[in-house]
Amino acid sequence: MTAALAVAPTTPRGGSPVRPAAGPALLAAIVAVNLLGFVVPVLNLLRLSFLKVEATGTLRETFDLSSWQAILTDGFYAGLLVDSVRTCALITGLTLVLSYPIALLIHRCRGTIRTLLLVLVVTPLLTSAVVRTYGWVALLYDQGLVNGMLMALGLSAPLRLMFNTVGVVIGLTEILMPYMILSLLAGFGRLDPRYEEAAMTLGASPWRTFLRVVLPLTLPGIALGCLLTFVLALSSFITPKLLGGGRVFLLATEIYDQAMVTLNWPLAAALSMVILAMFGLALVLYGRLVRRIG
Amino acid sequence: MRPVTQILSGTALLLGLLAGPAAAETVNLMSFPVLFQERYTKAVIEPFEKANPGIKVSYFGLPSSAQMLGTLRAQKAAPQVDVVIMDLAVSKAGTDEGLFAKLDEAEIPNIKDLVPEARRPELAGAGVTFDNLVLLTNTDLVKPRPDSWFVLRDKAYAGRVAIPAMPDIVGLALTVVLDKAEGGQDPLKSVDKGIAALGTIAPNVQTWDPRPEVYAPIVSGQAALGVGWNARAQLNHDISGGKLAAVLPKEGSVFQVNTINLTANSPNAAAAKKFIDYALGAEAQKAFTEAMFYAPSNAKARASVSPEAMARTAIGSSDRMIPLDWIAMAGRRDAILEQWRRRVIPLSR
Repeated sequence: MTAALAVAPTTPRGGSPVRPAAGPALLAAIVAVNLLGFVVPVLNLLRLSFLKVEATGTLRETFDLSSWQAILTDGFYAGLLVDSVRTCALITGLTLVLSYPIALLIHRCRGTIRTLLLVLVVTPLLTSAVVRTYGWVALLYDQGLVNGMLMALGLSAPLRLMFNTVGVVIGLTEILMPYMILSLLAGFGRLDPRYEEAAMTLGASPWRTFLRVVLPLTLPGIALGCLLTFVLALSSFITPKLLGGGRVFLLATEIYDQAMVTLNWPLAAALSMVILAMFGLALVLYGRLVRRIG
Repeated sequence: MRPVTQILSGTALLLGLLAGPAAAETVNLMSFPVLFQERYTKAVIEPFEKANPGIKVSYFGLPSSAQMLGTLRAQKAAPQVDVVIMDLAVSKAGTDEGLFAKLDEAEIPNIKDLVPEARRPELAGAGVTFDNLVLLTNTDLVKPRPDSWFVLRDKAYAGRVAIPAMPDIVGLALTVVLDKAEGGQDPLKSVDKGIAALGTIAPNVQTWDPRPEVYAPIVSGQAALGVGWNARAQLNHDISGGKLAAVLPKEGSVFQVNTINLTANSPNAAAAKKFIDYALGAEAQKAFTEAMFYAPSNAKARASVSPEAMARTAIGSSDRMIPLDWIAMAGRRDAILEQWRRRVIPLSR
């Protein structure tokens, strides 16, 4: 149950400390893996973004700035960036609102119930996002379960719940909830029921206790969960492809189209760099927030 | 014997056994998966292997020509693929990047029997199958059988139309067909009339990105009308028990060509050339048309295919086919894609 271990409250444990000299040796493996599996491919992608591509998709090994020029001057790509960030922020917010109560409940449970709830949270991750998205298609389409129920309740025409932004937001919110819940739990370490009891004893209402005690103590978890959810939302393309109906243009789906359909690899590479920069920005914001929380 | 010698001789013996009699050559073919793979294996590969007992064909399926090109680029230094069947426009990129070797008529004599459209001097390979754009209908939901592309804008089908939008080439082909239907002259200069016509269809569109392919939602009835390719539509018609029908509308359609290509520095070039020659020959082309309704590129095969199978291709309706140079059209693609994004898709929100 690795997930359960990962979210167990972090308490200092006994054991012999690692000698400082062993540090670099222990890091060598992960540094090598990251160099080969991440840094080198990213540099290669950066190089690719400066290559020339012809209308047929023919790639030429000559230096060319047109992909970057397109991104910086064509309003479509600026719009794409704004839409992507806005949609992903909305998804992150919804995921947080829906996941927070569940995480709080799991944090307070002990023993078998806690394990059971954790298993329930982790189970969806064992199924691929593609399968879960098709599950949403079955639920959301015009004659699907949701519209069927609404029509039975007296709605005259089916609501358009998919093949638009609504569908993408619904699908991604559900798919990303397990990540949010696990991150929240990992960041709930400082939340001790005794603080809440103390606040209540001193006369604070439950709502005030939540706002002044629980919420500040859980901020590290919220920040971590939001970072992870935002990054995952920004980079997912299968769910937006299946539920967006070709109407929702996001950075990740555009990269897929440019790379896999239009054969414009340099533009796809340049857009990938933009997404990477967004990730970096999100990380910086997260770092600042965590430092401020203390 | 010393242990090392024992191991070495044992390995040598084992390798000898694995290699089998007469060391069979393998041709690695890369092309479309699932239906195409299944039908092509039965109609072309199995008879070829029977006729050439020393050669085995190993099939590697990838869902799009772009992915095949990506694989070829990645293997440029040491190709593991010998033959590729892919979309003509993508094979032009492969030709220009030096990924393919030019087919030589002296080594592949069946090339001389190909129709002119299958022999483009700017391509290294040769046309092997012809497909065409069709209107797709769900036969339970759309009655009577429509005969015009413009049924797509019939208000009766609001929210029930599935069209793979550009950059998918179905979107590009539909733009050209509608442009011509509305009186457009040269799609290489302007497709404004086609874009305007698409704007009138857009409000009816349920999805611009039907998945996994456009045929599934039409068969299931999730969509009533759609646009796709003839061969796959014909096959889906048969598989679905007639739920999906492919219509060649009166305003006409365009051909799409798949080419067969020999990888540059193919490790099994001799066997690969033999296979390409067979694939372009009348026997293989006739068999594949009867199995999957791609029109043959071999003129002799066109004469010998059964009339029933031929009637399910667009060859008999040549007068309705709109000439389209896909290679020249590639240069216009980005501009047309922008029109789709500004003037077509927003009208469907």
